Amino acid sequence: MKTSRGAAILAIITAALLILPLVVHDTFVLRVLTEGIMWIGLAIAFDVIAGYTGYLNFGHGAFFGIGAYTIGILMMQAHLPFWVALPLGGVAAALTALIAGIPTLRLKGAYFAIATWALSRAIQQLALNVEFTGGPDGMRLEAFLNPLFFYYLMLITVGAIFLVLWYLLERAPFGLKLKAIREDEEGAKALGLNPTMLKMQSFILSAIPTGILGGIYAYWITFIDPSSTLGDLVSDQAVVMVVFGGMGTLFGPALGAILIFAFKTIFWAYLSDFQLLYLIILGALIAISVIFIPNGLWGTLVKRKAVARPQEKPEPASEPAALSAVAVPEEGN
Amino acid sequence: MMELLPQALTDGILLGGIYITIAIAFSLTYGVMHVIDFAVGEWIMFGAFTGYYLNKWTGLDPFIFLPVIFVIYFGVGYLVQPVIHRVLSGTKGNPFLMGLVFTFGLAIMFRGLALTAFGFYSNSIPSAFSEGSFNLDSIGLTVTIPTVRLMGLAYAVAITLILHYLLKKTNFGLGVRALAQHKDAAGLMGVNAKRTGSYVYGIYVGISAMTGVLLGCILSIGAQMGNEYTIFAFFVVVLAGMGYLAGVPWAALLLGLVQSIFMIYFNPSHTLLAVFVILYIILLISPRGLFGKGV
Amino acid sequence: MKFGFVRVLLLIAALFVAIPVHAEQRNFYKIGVITELSGDLVTGGNITKRGYDLWAQEVNAKGGIEVQGKKYQVKLVYADAQSNPAAGAAAAERLITQEKVDFILGPYSSGVTLAVAPVVDKYKVPMITGSAESPLIWKNKFKYTFGTIPPINFTGATSIKTLTELKPAPKTIAIIGSNDAFSKATAEAYKTAAEKAKLKIVKFSIVPSGQDMTPLLSAVRSMKPDVIAFGGHDEEHVKFVKALKQIGYTPKALLMHCGITDKAFTDAVGKDGEQIFGTTCWTGTAKTKSKVLWPTASAYAAASQKAFKNPGDYTQGGCSAAGIAFQTALQKVGAKPGMDEAMRAKLVQALEQIDVQTFYGRVKFATSGEFYHANVGLDPLTIQIQNGQIKTVGPKASVEAAAQYPMKEWKSR
Repeated sequence: MKTSRGAAILAIITAALLILPLVVHDTFVLRVLTEGIMWIGLAIAFDVIAGYTGYLNFGHGAFFGIGAYTIGILMMQAHLPFWVALPLGGVAAALTALIAGIPTLRLKGAYFAIATWALSRAIQQLALNVEFTGGPDGMRLEAFLNPLFFYYLMLITVGAIFLVLWYLLERAPFGLKLKAIREDEEGAKALGLNPTMLKMQSFILSAIPTGILGGIYAYWITFIDPSSTLGDLVSDQAVVMVVFGGMGTLFGPALGAILIFAFKTIFWAYLSDFQLLYLIILGALIAISVIFIPNGLWGTLVKRKAVARPQEKPEPASEPAALSAVAVPEEGN
Repeated sequence: MMELLPQALTDGILLGGIYITIAIAFSLTYGVMHVIDFAVGEWIMFGAFTGYYLNKWTGLDPFIFLPVIFVIYFGVGYLVQPVIHRVLSGTKGNPFLMGLVFTFGLAIMFRGLALTAFGFYSNSIPSAFSEGSFNLDSIGLTVTIPTVRLMGLAYAVAITLILHYLLKKTNFGLGVRALAQHKDAAGLMGVNAKRTGSYVYGIYVGISAMTGVLLGCILSIGAQMGNEYTIFAFFVVVLAGMGYLAGVPWAALLLGLVQSIFMIYFNPSHTLLAVFVILYIILLISPRGLFGKGV
Repeated sequence: MKFGFVRVLLLIAALFVAIPVHAEQRNFYKIGVITELSGDLVTGGNITKRGYDLWAQEVNAKGGIEVQGKKYQVKLVYADAQSNPAAGAAAAERLITQEKVDFILGPYSSGVTLAVAPVVDKYKVPMITGSAESPLIWKNKFKYTFGTIPPINFTGATSIKTLTELKPAPKTIAIIGSNDAFSKATAEAYKTAAEKAKLKIVKFSIVPSGQDMTPLLSAVRSMKPDVIAFGGHDEEHVKFVKALKQIGYTPKALLMHCGITDKAFTDAVGKDGEQIFGTTCWTGTAKTKSKVLWPTASAYAAASQKAFKNPGDYTQGGCSAAGIAFQTALQKVGAKPGMDEAMRAKLVQALEQIDVQTFYGRVKFATSGEFYHANVGLDPLTIQIQNGQIKTVGPKASVEAAAQYPMKEWKSR
């Protein structure tokens, strides 16, 4: 019953977003929504490896940049149409995840975080130093500035990403297996799971949508360079959004992405005279949220609800119930 | 090109000295508190500006202010630490990640504050030591050593020795080491984790702030300078083995030498590429650092 | 909690939709400014802001821009590009569709400009950037984008030429550039010019941004070049000078770029900045005469000193000149505030035709070729820092003081 209500609400939101451009003709609002939806996609994709699997990928931005550059190069230098290039952006990101993942996923905790960060930095330096990326000058794509096209493309892409991830992570056993690895990798092995394979699948599952979103971004913004697409911006934002919203769920990162992006955009658009104040407030907000809501906004909301209504069964997303299914130790040990 | 080698090595070692000063206290903090402090560069930046203004107001050489700056920022760190402790000792969520995101927030906030207070221009701290350099022609080497960089290396060595003494020969150090090895057991043995943590964090912030003054004398200062040094601090600490203090000087020297050799003998444009690839490969081969002794 | 989620969504949607749309009718010019007020390029962004602010202040102090006998004030609306091309494009979209600005004053960096230019082209709103100067912008031939600062490949040759005319003429040069779009283009422009001037290039290196360059300079020292040329940004200039001094190598001439003309550079390095050469198009003492706003360059420098305690550098001047270019074109076509598309197209035509003497020098935009819509009316200048002042030392027609050459040893300063 609970699920059907949730599904109904999601359907309403989706429908509202689908018909929104019929009501709102302001292209700036559409642009903001497009970007906001993109951040939802980036945050949930990041959460696959970071939240569900427990491997903090600080080089998430590299997948985004690789997707963006793949589309840029294929469209501008190989003259492929966008629709052919776009899936290849996802393929490029997946290949990167595969090649980088084999050695890197053996590392754990802080070591994994820093190794992925070092690798993404190396990729950025590479892009600055080779000819076909345009080096520090970046790359310009042909301008196709149709706000509706990009709004719907982003909406449908992120919607599809959300559905696929929701099915795999919340409905199929795959999600539980990943969580088992997060909680206790050795234990998961003892249960007959193959952590190496699962981690790799999770890493690739996180990379593909990120690469595709990078590709859409490149075509949409029309200009990419190493600092804006391969820099720390994407990784940093994704981490903040996911932690703020709540890790290891799909709704948490989405909520985090919406709120952080909305805060940034509103401050940016309507309080631009206080630009430095914005940095101070954003920084303080992140720090304070970590102190007071360590489980993220979503985690806290769910918990409060669960406490208020103890008779109700916990959300499928909340850990203990989910984990008991594969019989691994509970969270927090 | 071979006649450049002595100079290349000298430059590398002096650069390595700078990296020691950036990374050593950072490593200590990681060893004790298990926090990767994203704000390390910002502490350096605040120290640098404090030195800059003290010099401007009094006209005295910034090196004289190092102890003052240490005391001020020791106090700041001592006061900030309980908050970080609270973040890290939460039972929910992932404390490691929380610590990281918390200090990341601090770093953004500090950068905003610095841009507001100090403006956006780059600057430099004048010191009598930045004036000269001496060369070793007399012993048959074409090597030039800038005085101020030598001072930097001397400072690095001094800080390393003091920390070494503090950790190995004092009761306080015993407590710190016990905490680094086993938090709960140390608590049972009467080590006050909270207070010791505060001291350690205070020492770290104090040292980082002093380092800022030094960097201001050798290189430049600016409200956005922090990020760059955070990167190098990470690099050195990971290479050394996270939390393994004795590895820091060697890792720092290695980084300095890699940069210097690469700039001189290879394509300088690939220097950072080489640095990150080396870091990545070493992490893959030996995640616990060059010596395999990280936490 | 899902209702909470919906509520939050609705609230945010409402915030965006509820913003009132301004009326078209107004009796002042509403001008959008897109520049980098945060992020990595905050220094440059703020310098452009000063230039635009000073222009607006001066115009309003004089009662406004006079069009067909009536004076209209100007009002600047800022949008931060956050040193990020995507934010720049969003800023353009917001200023045009929500603020309904009449025209736009553009970003500091070339990267952001390249992302903004297609957007202003789409909405047919003219933009002049007072700073971005990458050759790439002009090669793309954006119809609605102009720039008051000539591209670096247009200016770079002059200072190399000035140096080769000194006695005893330098024979060798080492060129170093930081690996960002602008600095790399600067280094490459110097390289092309040096090759043409038959200088022997003993070293040409691009280094990653923000690095300590001491080891590289040690290598350069062993080659004993007469000239060292460097393309970089403000912070890198400071580091570069200090590194050269620390290793104790004084070339006969040290050439940098425009960044050193900002007073902040001489403030930072003090006497070590003495006798450094730079390439620019404007200084506070340039011999310019104008009928619009400031009569001379020095009048402008004085006004800037009063407003910001800084006489302003050529980027800031270029930004103020961008305002003047618009002002002139507006008067020419008699465009009143609240322009429609046809009027804006006329404005672009007028901008293509203007040829005006400003405090900044002559502003004349190219209408074809590789410098399309860049200002080619200016004469590049070679400058040198002498006693803390920026002095023009070349080309001959603009010389204020003889070049001091060779450079004084660091030690004996």
